Amino acid sequence: MTLGGWFSLILSWAGILTLTGFCFLCIFRKDSGLD
Amino acid sequence: MPVPKPQRETWSSKIGIILAVAGSAVGLGNFLRFPAKAVANGGGAFMIPYFVSLLLIGIPLMWIEWTLGRFGGGFGHGTAPGIFHSIARKNRFIKYFGVIGIFGPLVIFMYYLYIESWSLAYSFFALTGKLNQVSDQTQMQGFLQAFQGLTTNQFFSSLAPAYTFFFITFILNIFVIYHGIKGGIERLCKLAMPALFFCGFALMIRVMTLGAPDPGRPDWNVLNGFGFLWNPDLSALKSAHVWLEAAGQILFTLSVGIGVILTYASYLSKTDDVVLSGLTAASMNEIAEIIIGGSIVVPAAFVFFGPMEIRAVADSGVFNLGYVTMPLILQRLPLADFLSFLWFLLLFIAGITSSVSLAQPVISFMEDEFNLSKKKAVAIFTAATFILCQPAVLFLGRGVVDELDFWGGTFFLVLFATIEAILFSWVLGMEAAWDEIHLGAEMRIPRIYKFIIKYVTPVFLLIILGTWFFQKWLPVIFMEEVAPENKIYILATRVGLFLIFSLIAVMVRVAWRRKRQITEGTP
Repeated sequence: MTLGGWFSLILSWAGILTLTGFCFLCIFRKDSGLD
Repeated sequence: MPVPKPQRETWSSKIGIILAVAGSAVGLGNFLRFPAKAVANGGGAFMIPYFVSLLLIGIPLMWIEWTLGRFGGGFGHGTAPGIFHSIARKNRFIKYFGVIGIFGPLVIFMYYLYIESWSLAYSFFALTGKLNQVSDQTQMQGFLQAFQGLTTNQFFSSLAPAYTFFFITFILNIFVIYHGIKGGIERLCKLAMPALFFCGFALMIRVMTLGAPDPGRPDWNVLNGFGFLWNPDLSALKSAHVWLEAAGQILFTLSVGIGVILTYASYLSKTDDVVLSGLTAASMNEIAEIIIGGSIVVPAAFVFFGPMEIRAVADSGVFNLGYVTMPLILQRLPLADFLSFLWFLLLFIAGITSSVSLAQPVISFMEDEFNLSKKKAVAIFTAATFILCQPAVLFLGRGVVDELDFWGGTFFLVLFATIEAILFSWVLGMEAAWDEIHLGAEMRIPRIYKFIIKYVTPVFLLIILGTWFFQKWLPVIFMEEVAPENKIYILATRVGLFLIFSLIAVMVRVAWRRKRQITEGTP
């Protein structure tokens, strides 16, 4: 795998995981009344 | 005097509807179509137009559909005709645009159920060891074709096994649909979605730990397999075709433009957060697609077939990837039967959570607009769809499934998404739409999206639609790519689809005429 390949993979995975993590964090914070 | 409407169902929890929408979106496309498209369109470079399309059309359409659905649900409408009518009550024609939002999912249901039943059948064949008796590509191809009734061989002598699994799948779907939104679909998705992610991650970890199974070919290793998918070919970005493929994949994978999300969101209450829920459902779908979907088929095929053959494998079509190549790959691993079972179970779960969602617009239309009970609506749906599914089962070899997929799963999907985007920002009005999106919202959408939803999303969709018309409409209308002996079947399918569309349009007219008579008190 080339450096460009690693870059594409890591950026894509990190972007999606961060977005999903952020969404669930917001949902659980709201549901648990932490806000 | 107006007849009081029965109370509409609601979701029991926020996570329930998020899982249901994600379940509707996650399907065969995530695990088979995405990796094949990425390989064919520039590998890692494909992710640039893919993410641009996600941001400019995928996520905006998610928000549009969630908002329109919740908006229509507030007026007691769960399907597009009623929802569009709620946007512009004085316009008597607008509701007819919504016919596509019932027609589209019904057409997809007509063939999707049969394909879903293959996964159930193959998971059974994996457990009983029947699949393990097949050892090469030609035999596996023959196994699939004989199962589909296209030929006969030592494995299958008739369509009976395929029909049996279709029937079981049909009954399972009706069972879930009959139990309604809360007791059926939500309960199924709360169990099925974690199971789907479990199967997906288990297979992904197995593929990631393959190393280089053939010591004579150390280059055929899993890292190079990932490289085959992810190494960017930046020249692909200059091709308009690659951008259209990426946009098409986004529409297809998120299940926007079908009408299903409208119906699901109509069961929300007025202040339920659609911004966060829509974004969460979309991001869950992307995990299934980019992380799981991108880590199973292509890297595994690369390790066993090598760099020369894998392009042919990726180009061989979605069904070949899933039902011919993958079982052959899994056979070469320890615990082959179990891994094959896990793979087809993954596809079946992805299928059933999508097919039950496709049924809901028709059921909801009968309940909301004709005041039918759930029991009656499901009984009519069962009788009608059992007949409507038969052409896909009996005439698969004649191209009927491809034809249904083209109209229901491709053309009307883009057309309906375009209509929704225009109605939302131009008929409801961007200011009203912006306020409606944010009702009960935990967070504010960046203001740039006001511009994107109003201009960029509709224009992007019109370009896709326009390009299609420019390139394809003449060959499609005149069936230039259809074999002469199949033309009569394709023509019959088109006549059937036209009749179904007309029938739904007439039902919309009858429903609104009845409502007007009831409101005005005339017999």
